[in-house]
Amino acid sequence: MKKNNAYVIIGNSASGLAAIESVRRIDKTSNIINISKEPHRPYSRCLLSYYLAGQYNKDILWIRHEDYYKKYNVEGLLNTTVAGVDVKNRALAIAGNKKISFDKLLIATGASAKSVDIKGADKRGVFVLRTLEDAQGILNMLPSVKKACILGGGLIGMRAAYALKKRGINVHVIVKSSHIFSQMLDAEAADMMRQHLETNGIEISTGLEAKEILGKDSVEHLVLDDGNRLDCELIVIGKGVAANLEIVRGQVKTNMGILANEHLETDNKDIYAAGDVAETYDILEGSNNVNQIWPAAIRQGKIAGLNMAGEEAKYEGTYGTNSLDFFDLAVMSFGVVKPKNDVDFEELIEIDTTRRLYRKIILRSNRIVGGVLINDVERHGILLHLALHKIDISDIKYILADEYFDFGKVVPLIKRQAKSFARPEYNDTCATYSPLY
Amino acid sequence: MKQSKKIFCDITKCVACRTCELACAIEHSATKDLFLAMLERPRPRARTFVHFIERDVSHSIACQHCEEPPCMEACMSSCISKDEKTGKVDIDRSRCVACWMCIMVCPFGIISREAADKNKAFKCDLCPDRECPACVDACPTKTLSYETRDDFSRRIKQEKKVYEKK
Ligand SMILES: Cc1cc2nc3c(=O)[nH]c(=O)nc-3n(C[C@H](O)[C@H](O)[C@H](O)COP(=O)(O)OP(=O)(O)OC[C@H]3O[C@@H](n4cnc5c(N)ncnc54)[C@H](O)[C@@H]3O)c2cc1C
Repeated sequence: MKKNNAYVIIGNSASGLAAIESVRRIDKTSNIINISKEPHRPYSRCLLSYYLAGQYNKDILWIRHEDYYKKYNVEGLLNTTVAGVDVKNRALAIAGNKKISFDKLLIATGASAKSVDIKGADKRGVFVLRTLEDAQGILNMLPSVKKACILGGGLIGMRAAYALKKRGINVHVIVKSSHIFSQMLDAEAADMMRQHLETNGIEISTGLEAKEILGKDSVEHLVLDDGNRLDCELIVIGKGVAANLEIVRGQVKTNMGILANEHLETDNKDIYAAGDVAETYDILEGSNNVNQIWPAAIRQGKIAGLNMAGEEAKYEGTYGTNSLDFFDLAVMSFGVVKPKNDVDFEELIEIDTTRRLYRKIILRSNRIVGGVLINDVERHGILLHLALHKIDISDIKYILADEYFDFGKVVPLIKRQAKSFARPEYNDTCATYSPLY
Repeated sequence: MKQSKKIFCDITKCVACRTCELACAIEHSATKDLFLAMLERPRPRARTFVHFIERDVSHSIACQHCEEPPCMEACMSSCISKDEKTGKVDIDRSRCVACWMCIMVCPFGIISREAADKNKAFKCDLCPDRECPACVDACPTKTLSYETRDDFSRRIKQEKKVYEKK
């Protein structure tokens, strides 16, 4: 009988790479095949906007050495699209009618940028920003661009706007919601960021939607739903992403993403899913969720790889968090930033508009479930981990949102709730502490 | 895996004199001299921090060089690595793009932004030019030590016994 390939990993981005590396920590010899439809060696798509801005050259994108596959003893199939997975027969169909068999499969196909369903969206000069080709396409257009319109006021839209502004192009961001960063920030923080972005020359309109794109072959105008018509030569769409789960649809359980359990395994044994394509339990939301962010993709890939190689590892769950920095103003948030009902939640807020400081912490039954920080962001991670470990913070509530909050204030909590603080380093920090009072 | 050395703090001995912070800033200055370093711009900054835990209880804390560093998993330019042998977690400045993802996830809040200068993340690097980190050498009360976790726990247990006898 023909032997299957021990491991097949689809995707060579964050989660695919993390999986390869953890499989190889345990299993040094079995065959690993890594497939990517993109032609490139591993790169970080998060850095595309930095590349676009001209702040860094292309080299910044490559996140692994050129001889990565050799070093990890992996057969890399680049520029190869998986058309479908035959779950029953444990095989993949790739172009050219070829079949690749597997014992263990990881689907780390990530997500694709959503486009807009309006007339003229197929014209030259309309882009999304997800792949190196997208960034290159935008860069090639730049010499003929005076003004760009960005559709969407989320992370990708605003990163694109910032990058183009750095290139000296006039940008106008069109946002459907009443606030920018409507997923990531509460209204007050969004207003503070908006003011900062506008002061630095980025034009922003909220409560408006694009209706039609006009132009001969290339973009010339953007028509908005209020009838206004903007002249522009470039349009970048930042309307979110959708999981690339078509290759297994109908064969494994899917919702917004491929449903993966605490071992990152799908409902079909030996088939795993990780990264932007996966839907997992969200610790802070308390329900299943897709959090399409880099840290989650790495963590999930890592845990999936361990389990695939036979070392049981439990995934603690996903959570939303992100970090942005525009014109030297940093903003970060995590978890629930806009609680739906007010009754169960409590908010701690400190605002200092002159120094542009903003700190908001959202609590539920004395546990942190979310937070937003502007400018003074260094202690974001402390709050995040208190939330993830579901620590009762009653004892330090008075100082949590304060400017003088620091890790020292957490030490007594570690002593009292030692079991909840899982990392060995937490114990290191409080091993010699005994409360005075 | 063999345990690697890191900086430990014996809270019972800390008097919040902040000598560690000073020594750290000097070690990471261009001139490595207190009086000249004070004149440098941007002013050299410490990578270790003295905090109050209670009114008269303090500690000094810097990067814990975690066994499973969250910063390394979050870094989107893969510029943070952990040395298998020494256990040291390092930031490759040439690839840091100042996205602050590391700061976003650090459980200890000890990574800083070098905003005034090159816009890079920075933290304790265990003083690559020295055998023992500057903060440990400078600590006048021997609060800080540079050793393995096992050595540290053994030592504090022993010392506790001695004190309890007295
Ligand atoms: C401009 C930009 C900025 C971002 N900024 C941030 C940020 O600041 N912070 C943050 O946390 N996240 C950010 N992200 C999101 C982050 O990039 C993703 O969460 C991360 O890349 C997900 O990794 P992944 O491995 O799950 O999948 P992806 O990165 O989407 O990679 C998917 C892989 O699967 C392959 N593939 C897909 N379908 C097939 C197929 N049918 N056959 C073969 N191969 C296939 C692709 O070629 C690719 O290798 C940003 C993304 C973009 C585009």
